[in-house]
Amino acid sequence: MNNTPLLKINNLTVTYPLNSEGSDVLKALDNISLKVNSGQIIGIVGESGAGKSTIGKAILGLLDPPAKLVSGEIRFLGNSLVGLSEAQFESLRGNQIGYIYQNPMTALNPVLTIGEQVIEAIEANTDMRGKNAQEYAIQLLERADVSFAEDRLQKYPHQLSGGLCQRIVFAIAIAAKPKLIIADEPTTALDVTVQQSVLQTLIKLSQQEQIAIILITHDIGVIAETCDYVYVLRYGKHVEQDATNKVLQRPTQDYTRALMASVPLIEKRLHRFALNEEDNLEDTSTGLHYLQEKQTTQDSTNEPLLEVRNLSKIFITPSSMLKAKQSFTAVKGVNFTVQRGETVGIVGESGSGKSTIGRMILGLEDITEGSVIYRGKDLKLITDSTERRAHCLSMQCIFQDPYSSLNPRMSAGENITYGLKIHNLIDNNKAGSLAQDLMSLVGLKRKDADKLPHAFSGGERQRIGIARSLAYRPDFIFCDEPTSALDVSVQANLLNLLKDLQEQFSLTLLFVSHDLAVIRQMCDRVIVMKDGEALENDSNDNIFEQPKHAYTRSLLEAMPKFQGLAQY
Amino acid sequence: MIRYILKRLWHSGILAIVMSLIVFFGLYVVGDPVEMLSDDEFTEQDKIDLAIELGLDKPLFEQYFTYAGGMLQGDFGTSFVHNRPVLELILERLPATIEISLLAMIIGLSIGIPLGIFSGIKNNSRASKIISFFTTVGYSTPNFWQAIILIMVFAVFLQWLPASGRGLTNSMFGIEWAWLSLNGLQHMALPAINLAIYKICMQQRLAKSGTQEILYQEYMTFARAKGISRNRIIRRHLLRNILIPIVTITGLEVGGLIAFSTVTETIFSWPGIGKLLLDSIHMIDRPVVVAYLILITMMFVFINFVVDVMYAFLDPRIRHQK
Amino acid sequence: MIDYKKKLATLSLQTKSIFSGHPIAIAGLIGFVIFVLIALFAPWIAPQNPYDLMVLDIMDGLLPPLSKLGNGTTSWLGTDAVGRDILSAVMYGLRLSLFVAFVATTVGFLIGVFLGLLAAVKGGWVESVIMRAVDLKVSFPGILLALMMLAIFGTGVDKIIYALIIGVWASKARLTRSSALSEMQKEYIDAARISAIPNWRIMLKFLLPNSIAPVLVMVPMSLSGCIGAEATLSFLGVGVPITEPSLGLLIANGNDYLLSGKWWISLFPGVVLVSLVLCINVVADRIREHNNPFLKSMNMQ
Repeated sequence: MNNTPLLKINNLTVTYPLNSEGSDVLKALDNISLKVNSGQIIGIVGESGAGKSTIGKAILGLLDPPAKLVSGEIRFLGNSLVGLSEAQFESLRGNQIGYIYQNPMTALNPVLTIGEQVIEAIEANTDMRGKNAQEYAIQLLERADVSFAEDRLQKYPHQLSGGLCQRIVFAIAIAAKPKLIIADEPTTALDVTVQQSVLQTLIKLSQQEQIAIILITHDIGVIAETCDYVYVLRYGKHVEQDATNKVLQRPTQDYTRALMASVPLIEKRLHRFALNEEDNLEDTSTGLHYLQEKQTTQDSTNEPLLEVRNLSKIFITPSSMLKAKQSFTAVKGVNFTVQRGETVGIVGESGSGKSTIGRMILGLEDITEGSVIYRGKDLKLITDSTERRAHCLSMQCIFQDPYSSLNPRMSAGENITYGLKIHNLIDNNKAGSLAQDLMSLVGLKRKDADKLPHAFSGGERQRIGIARSLAYRPDFIFCDEPTSALDVSVQANLLNLLKDLQEQFSLTLLFVSHDLAVIRQMCDRVIVMKDGEALENDSNDNIFEQPKHAYTRSLLEAMPKFQGLAQY
Repeated sequence: MIRYILKRLWHSGILAIVMSLIVFFGLYVVGDPVEMLSDDEFTEQDKIDLAIELGLDKPLFEQYFTYAGGMLQGDFGTSFVHNRPVLELILERLPATIEISLLAMIIGLSIGIPLGIFSGIKNNSRASKIISFFTTVGYSTPNFWQAIILIMVFAVFLQWLPASGRGLTNSMFGIEWAWLSLNGLQHMALPAINLAIYKICMQQRLAKSGTQEILYQEYMTFARAKGISRNRIIRRHLLRNILIPIVTITGLEVGGLIAFSTVTETIFSWPGIGKLLLDSIHMIDRPVVVAYLILITMMFVFINFVVDVMYAFLDPRIRHQK
Repeated sequence: MIDYKKKLATLSLQTKSIFSGHPIAIAGLIGFVIFVLIALFAPWIAPQNPYDLMVLDIMDGLLPPLSKLGNGTTSWLGTDAVGRDILSAVMYGLRLSLFVAFVATTVGFLIGVFLGLLAAVKGGWVESVIMRAVDLKVSFPGILLALMMLAIFGTGVDKIIYALIIGVWASKARLTRSSALSEMQKEYIDAARISAIPNWRIMLKFLLPNSIAPVLVMVPMSLSGCIGAEATLSFLGVGVPITEPSLGLLIANGNDYLLSGKWWISLFPGVVLVSLVLCINVVADRIREHNNPFLKSMNMQ
């Protein structure tokens, strides 16, 4: 029995129909095999569309129609799981195999208490009832490092933080001491600082209870920290598998190599990501010319391009009959300057006020206190409307969400040049060719300018967004987490593009991100923010190598450590 | 929770005042009661006398306050046609409306919701498709046409059930009810079914779409992943969540029932307040119309308030709203 | 011109994707188109003009279907008490019912979308006033509101259209506002704002086209609702005037004769009314289902 693996998957294929007749199918999983021994933590890594989550669902018979398991074998302790009845699966789920979802807030039922949901799982999978079940539930929560466990049972999911909810999901998953847990992106939805400790809890539970884990993630850092063995997937196909160290340090496949090269490192700043980029075959000369025309007109003084003085933002919810006025201070007296051609990064967790600063600079948010001096002038004091407009247009933004940053009803080209046309900054008949020029400049095809946004991938849409901001020949671009919604390889490509553009046109960037490693790669100077305050403002190297503030140190410590990632 | 209730109560109060203002000014200002009450033989002087008699020479707000003041003391004026206090007239007719509306509600909920949940869960089954087709036909058929068909089939051809009137009534708590006798129940059957058909169709459709939306929430899959049995998931996770939209809709539909009872009562000559309203509109009995609309408004405001409170009770996310 | 053709092509493609594989919905659509055509061409295809008192002959009164009239023609669906041909009356009634419902739905839709957008964009007291008015309307059943209005203003085709508009606009305004508000959270609106694009352009070129889809989906439902409401009000005698009978009034006229066995006067207008509403509703259901992501995924099963 000892050499029977806990779980063994052979040649698993799962398809989704692409049309209603089912003649055309997408293979979400194509001939996948894997093996888990008891107590082992294995990782499945891949970018979106790799089919990682489908594996977990297929094992437990949770594939949502129209997904269909077409062929292959899944054996758990030697017994086949393919074609089990719903009742047979019920006795397996929770009892033998636990499941952990990416987003604990949607996995827990909003109208049932935590207690009801934990006890329900206990009663379904063990003999414990009533008071015993209740006590066991408290024990489970404590084991999953939930503080005040007894009180928490009375709460509803929306009253607890995401991290706590995920720990409760852990407690539910281990309730029946299963032999295997499938964890689907267990920390992705959580804040950076809690990710690490939640992950530690999962590993601790696995070791204490001798539970094997299949950890599904897109995050190489998480894999490096936790897994003994890793499978790399792409588009539903197997790419590479080996012990984690080997895959990370000596990948044998091109895709894995590219993936490793795309992971932004925190240890040192690279000039560019070492990717095998396809050459841009489009003619970029006219686009280059368009942008360079502007550069010559610039005066080069020594004063900073942008100066932020004692900037504060207080959000106020107005008082009503029964509610007193409530206020929330998002930004507290922040000062910094940005020199021409410099890239300044702002890093912080969600709610630290980092995006609000950018929105105030751009005029999307009113300034509560303080001032923004741009090109030597306070925007608030400019009364001439033409000058004011020129001022505004020279500040642009690259947004976070590629799926909402373009007007879905306008073609890519129209999105890029619409504003220019409105302000009569370009002739209507020249707008089309300018859009094409700019698209070629950001690595898109000229002929795609007529397509609507939905025809483009996430990374391509971000490029359209960059082209749109370049169209105004801006002096300053605010980058609001421009890559946080993208896969790591797409991110690396986009960051390379930004680095290139920055170099070519000596752009001035204010780069906001929650990801320390991205900030490390992109910025000359870094501001660390927490709860609306700027805690530290220093050069890139100083922040990452000799952080002065305790919070900065704790942020750096919370980053997954992985030594010896393949370097090129 | 208490703050939430107070807030709702405050909203309800405002709503009640605004509605009563609209009804009052709509009926007393936009329409001219003197014109409506007078006929061709009236002289100008008669009209002026009538206006003074009705208090119409006074400023608008004074009229409103006089009326509102009287209303608070239970004085809704006197019916032109029946020459009796309006409140008395309405209270006398109210039990008849309450009993068929309630019966229709019970029939509607107890058939419509189970059908809806069933067809939501078994969305692609033949049975579900047949049910959904019938409910589509049902709610596409105007209420009055259903009534005509019911009368033709059950009263004229089959002669099983009476088609008009309330039949025998018996007294309970000093109020006359029809449902206490077989004859009364027979008279109630057709109007109640008429009102219920629409309810059944509506509830089936709402429960069906609600069920489907909830079935595809991630917590439903997670509940399955926890190893909970299918029946228990439906009993607990599905029903608890689906109750929220159903309670809301049901509450609002009480209003719809009262509204449609005007049609049903008229066709079946059921002596409820709906028929009273329609008769009063035809006979231009303004005090009754105004009183009816104001009372109904207050009732809607109250129902909305109850629904909001129940909503908070069922949905912890609202209960804990700061 | 090319742009126009392109749009027409995408529209027909969309129609195809909504209806293909759904025979009931297709039947509904075809039925609806036929009803609309009959209504449009009623004056040319109806055997007689039921409004023209000169052609009516009291001697032809209350004839059953397939009877010969005094002037030698056949009355396929019978006649009413004043000798009006039921087939013609139904055609003209259909014309009036559809006209009233179309006008009320269109105007109500336009008002609702406009107010909804205004509330979303302006915020502040403008939004409060509009949304409180919506709450007020929504908390009150439409048919009662219409009764109340007709009690105040009296009856007539124009009056009933006003009453129906009051019933239509509020839900559209509420939906437009919530749809527009969620669009306003999106970054392309911010992008437009930092490019100093004027507010009215943002409203028309960015917000309107992106937030109108869920409201459009509701339009067929409103249309059938208006048809039903108009028929009900006319049946109750507070709708269209007796000189211009709509389907509801025709049914009411025949209602008195039902018990004496003269079933044709009510039955035919009733059947047409129910089929019309049913046709629109199956189409409406299909469109809604097509636009609902939950139902969509399940339909692939």
